[in-house]
Amino acid sequence: MSEHDAVDAPDELRFSRVFDAPRELVFRCMIDPDHLTHFWGPAGVSAPRDRITVDARPGGVFETVMVNDADGSQYPTRAVYDEVREPELLAWTESSSGMQVTTEFVALGPDRTEVRIHQRFVPEALLAPEAQAGFLTALDRFEGYLGGLS
Amino acid sequence: MTMTEERLDAAFAALADPTRRAIVSRLARGDATVGELAEPFDMSLPGISKHLKVLERSGLISRRRDAQFRPCHLEVDALDGALDWIGTNRDLWDERFDKLDALLADMRRPISPTGPPNRKERAHE
Repeated sequence: MSEHDAVDAPDELRFSRVFDAPRELVFRCMIDPDHLTHFWGPAGVSAPRDRITVDARPGGVFETVMVNDADGSQYPTRAVYDEVREPELLAWTESSSGMQVTTEFVALGPDRTEVRIHQRFVPEALLAPEAQAGFLTALDRFEGYLGGLS
Repeated sequence: MTMTEERLDAAFAALADPTRRAIVSRLARGDATVGELAEPFDMSLPGISKHLKVLERSGLISRRRDAQFRPCHLEVDALDGALDWIGTNRDLWDERFDKLDALLADMRRPISPTGPPNRKERAHE
């Protein structure tokens, strides 16, 4: 686990990264298909420009198709924006998983921006009242246990 | 091992309960009988059994049919599957951010003196 990561709330995952670029530019990268196509796919995975749809306003869609460079398998993802506040915040919900993703853009200086990703994993089963307790914090601890087992 | 979405949901749902997490933690140190698992909790055997059934259905634990006290066993692969999901998600953002970092560096690289002249009019678009 890198220093950027923290599991700091019961049912949430957070990641952050600091970029040497102004906040407005970093924000534009996250909503402009011409930019997204260059980084949306992780290592070894492309995100073709012509298959990215961004309608950055509440209720608008955010669709991408990630294509595995090695075997061509495709991972379409559809999300709907919940909140768009340029240049400080983007929030969307992934339609298939119900995952809520919030991205905050924090200006640390004129040319320095921290991007904070905040994900809430809320499958149907976890909406039950008994499921309020923190599970990710516990899972994080389990990694320690399991490390000792293998 | 790939875990089906359904299986993953079941694992997370099972782990959403603090008692069941404590049971899984205990089993990570070794197999245990229902009686042994009930000990640290202020809970009846039927109460513990109910939690064990949920864990069993989620695939996180298994129970031997043959032994007299039917010890519970943690299925490490199933738990790993749930943990993998979190790790995979973290890697996804890490790798995206690596690429975004490179993209931003490209965009902000100063125009070299020998390169093409900066098209100043574009700044006003």
